[in-house]
Amino acid sequence: MTRAKTSAVRKASDSAPDIAWRWDDAPPDMDYVREALFRHIGKPVARKEDKRLLTGKGRFTDDFNLPGQTYAAMVRSPHPHARILGIDASAALAAPGVLAVLTGVDVLADGLGPIPHNPLPKTNFDMKLSAPGGGAPFIGPHLLLPADKVRHVGEAVAVVVAESAAQAMDAAELVDVDYEELDFVIDALDAASGSCPSVVWDEVPDNVFVETHFGDREATDAAFARAAHVVEASFHIDRVTGVPMEPRAALAAFDAESGKYTLYAGSGGAVRQKNELAEVLGIEPKSLRVLSFDVGGNFGTRNRTYVEFGLTLWASRRVGRPVKYTATRSEAFLTDYQGRDLHTTVALAMDAEGRFLAMRADNLSNVGARCVSLSPLSKGSGLITGSYDIPAATLRSRAVFTNTMCTQAYRSSGRPEVTYAIERLVEIAAKQIGMDPIELRRRNMIAPDRMPYRNAVGQVYDSGTYETNMDQAMALFDWDGFAARREEATARGMLLGRGLANYVESSIGSPRERAEITVLPDGRIEVVIGTQPSGQGHETSFAQVVADMLGVPVETVTIIIGDTDVVSVGGGSHSGRSMRHAGTVMAMASSELLAEARRRAAEHFDVALDRIERDGDQYRVAGTNHTVGLFELAALPSGPLAVARTNEMHTPVFPNGTAICEVEIDPELCHVEITRYATIDDVGRCINPMIVHGQTHGGIAQGVGQAMWELCVTDPDSGQPLAGSFMDYGMPRADNLPSFDAEIAEVISPTNPLGIKAGGEGGTTPALATVTLAVLDALAPLGVTDIKMPLTPNTIWRAIGEARQQEKGVME
Amino acid sequence: MYAFDYHRARSLEEALKLFATLDEATFLAGGHTLLPTMKNRLAAPENLIDISALPELSGIGMQGGVLRIGAAMTHHAVAASSLVAETIPALAALAGSIGDVQVRHVGTMGGSVANNDPAADYPAAVLSLGAEIETDRRRIPADDFFQGLYATALEEGELIVAIRFPVPETAGYGKYRNPASRYALAASFVSIRDGAVRVAVTGAGKNGVFRWEAAEQALMGHCSASRIADLRPESDALLSDMHADAAFRANLVNVVTRRAAEHLGGASIV
Repeated sequence: MTRAKTSAVRKASDSAPDIAWRWDDAPPDMDYVREALFRHIGKPVARKEDKRLLTGKGRFTDDFNLPGQTYAAMVRSPHPHARILGIDASAALAAPGVLAVLTGVDVLADGLGPIPHNPLPKTNFDMKLSAPGGGAPFIGPHLLLPADKVRHVGEAVAVVVAESAAQAMDAAELVDVDYEELDFVIDALDAASGSCPSVVWDEVPDNVFVETHFGDREATDAAFARAAHVVEASFHIDRVTGVPMEPRAALAAFDAESGKYTLYAGSGGAVRQKNELAEVLGIEPKSLRVLSFDVGGNFGTRNRTYVEFGLTLWASRRVGRPVKYTATRSEAFLTDYQGRDLHTTVALAMDAEGRFLAMRADNLSNVGARCVSLSPLSKGSGLITGSYDIPAATLRSRAVFTNTMCTQAYRSSGRPEVTYAIERLVEIAAKQIGMDPIELRRRNMIAPDRMPYRNAVGQVYDSGTYETNMDQAMALFDWDGFAARREEATARGMLLGRGLANYVESSIGSPRERAEITVLPDGRIEVVIGTQPSGQGHETSFAQVVADMLGVPVETVTIIIGDTDVVSVGGGSHSGRSMRHAGTVMAMASSELLAEARRRAAEHFDVALDRIERDGDQYRVAGTNHTVGLFELAALPSGPLAVARTNEMHTPVFPNGTAICEVEIDPELCHVEITRYATIDDVGRCINPMIVHGQTHGGIAQGVGQAMWELCVTDPDSGQPLAGSFMDYGMPRADNLPSFDAEIAEVISPTNPLGIKAGGEGGTTPALATVTLAVLDALAPLGVTDIKMPLTPNTIWRAIGEARQQEKGVME
Repeated sequence: MYAFDYHRARSLEEALKLFATLDEATFLAGGHTLLPTMKNRLAAPENLIDISALPELSGIGMQGGVLRIGAAMTHHAVAASSLVAETIPALAALAGSIGDVQVRHVGTMGGSVANNDPAADYPAAVLSLGAEIETDRRRIPADDFFQGLYATALEEGELIVAIRFPVPETAGYGKYRNPASRYALAASFVSIRDGAVRVAVTGAGKNGVFRWEAAEQALMGHCSASRIADLRPESDALLSDMHADAAFRANLVNVVTRRAAEHLGGASIV
């Protein structure tokens, strides 16, 4: 699948005073950092973690066991919406091995709080969403178990703790819950209709709990009024789920003597889990230790706190023994936080030459039964205008409750949705005005000299050479060779199509990060950092950064993550934040460490500080052969050579690029084969191109997966999720994907010392659009103009059939 | 999964005896349907009798012009057998298209036929080729064996020992996979023996595998795909689910049958 090519490095664009990182304000030792780049940085250093993971030595949550541990099983709601009239646990309590059955009534009696999800993105640069009419939105308290009613199929209503996992599961079936079924609603448009019989939360009678308007309405209306052309379209970017290979799991223990809780739970960041769960339990954060080591896939699914984590902690205190819970794959399909589910209506006004004048958008996010995160709506809201210079725009952003599992930021939160909308709209516009869609894009793309560029809803794009991305991607794809390839495919009875999408995405993320660097006398350097990899290779790429800065071999640097007794601050890994935030704070910490090392060297030789010269990890008195090494300095009696640095950084970056997909459709089977996929991704500074390519490939697969196969199907009549296993939930597979032509563009971001943007999610962001546009292009000769995802054979067959019917209608 | 007892039988006789004496017993071959069903707590046998190593259920050989395949032979064993490849290459290709490598090394022909999953591959070959199902007590013609979704002519405790395939003049298999499960969304096995064409379709029928007689008649005498270009089975008799509605399945049955006819002596697997 891999066909990585050499990186195309481009010049940095002009830095902007208001968003630029200021080298001049940095301490003098940051110059070392600046000069140290890039002995290891930029090189495809092999992943340090692979040997451990490939030889079965990973430490995933379910690998941990504690003496005397018990097992939890959940009793889950079979109904999408029902009042809980009562729960009879007597039969379960009498079953063999059962230690406890806990319900929502017990949650209230024990004074446990709701999970403080904090769904509003909180940096200074995030789009600010509010309740209809203003104010903080009501998010629907997320208690560990509900006492009033269930609001989605699969919601846990009771937890059974038993001596063995099998006994817990057996007893869970004996818990008798008396339900009164209520009207339910699955689709966001129905829920927000204003006349929906299902009210998910009494506090929000019309289910719409967020409504915010952005942009300049007057300017937009004026532009639409004078427009030569207007196009409008509505899309539903449907519900998918993350399907991490490792199902979520938790192992909790309570030590009555010290009053301390311990939780093993893989997530996207242990510090968040610790703080939120401490609040649920009503304890000081220092009384809870959370351990998250190797994590088998996240994609956003694992970033937020799960009720099962709180339940095992609480149950371990109640039964006085450790409690373990591991979700089955069925439970994962049912109750992992899901992704996407956005309805959007977009309109574009153009002048006679096809210049974009203004845009209107109306976005409606289905958050499910409770609001866990508004990140998808917020992120998408800021990027509705995509890579294009659209002077005016208005946007209504709404979020609505439904009787479905909660949604969360999922691989490139919110951005694939709006990229899909704008790129499809641009194609529709090109068709309507009879212009080549590439030319139309070219005419409207944001030029490099406009950077930093403030878009019509206020987001400031930091840097990028968008049109060059498109040109390079087209060259990589062999855009001009398409006609010949199509001819060849046609001769075989196949339909060939291509789809291009430009994208820009924002990487913001939790603003605070902390690095602690310790030089050990034995020749090792330990770096404690608060990000949480789940396959991204932080142990390698972070080590590269620190090794460069301290002038030591990359092998000597060990990255320590995931234990909140060691990691005190850390934003976790999401939103493409890890390398940028960790890289910046590691650079700052490294410069402090270098300063300290120099000070010690001067002290050691009893010379003035300015006489110490540094060469790699050696410190020399200028003009002499007196040298001392970094690791020797750590062994001096002056104590451990260590620094700790916390940094808060709000300025977002805007990774961008262009991707192109080619598909070949067998018109009889309606089978789609992806035959070619090219992408140019501007990730800013690339620390390890091999790792970035790997993440891009995974990102593409995940985006293609949604376009082609993945869908959380729910039966509209019963409210039951139907895609509950791999039998029905289609996944991307290696044999369904071509070898990718991926290249990295390094347009250095002016916003941070390393010039990093973000990588990986850029594979996903344009993929929904590229695949759909390629399929539409292939089917265009048959008269197909619209189609919805996933592009399954049946969907394609129906689209062809409907187009034929329409053609017939026109003929008659 | 509920608790159960596991018994590994060493001979056919022992397996049958165990079945007769144990409560709520079920035979376990490759377990590719039974074990997931048990894991989802949808089946709760108290006793599992493992028959995968019975010598009587093993082996692939010719017996008087009939290809006899032991019920416990894995899909891989069938796919890799030079005897199968020489006599009924479409059958070898079919076996090689089931699931993935891991599945093919554990799943068995007898298990698949006994289970009669509406999307399983083997029933199409067994029915099209007019095979006989040899059990511990009798031989059952394929036409009488498959009796609807997951239903067969097998009696309580009756065990398939082997499948006996008459060797056809030629045969072909056409299959289109479900993108999620990789089972057949629709598949068709076309064979010609003694001048007669038999077409058996799996993955599509409401009642499981079925013979598509209209196609058989159209192909009789000249097994050319063009003769069924516009022929489709009645949608009423076809499955409709989230992956394919009945009308689309009718289209697919047409396509895979034509491709089977175009690939006699082999298979077309997409």
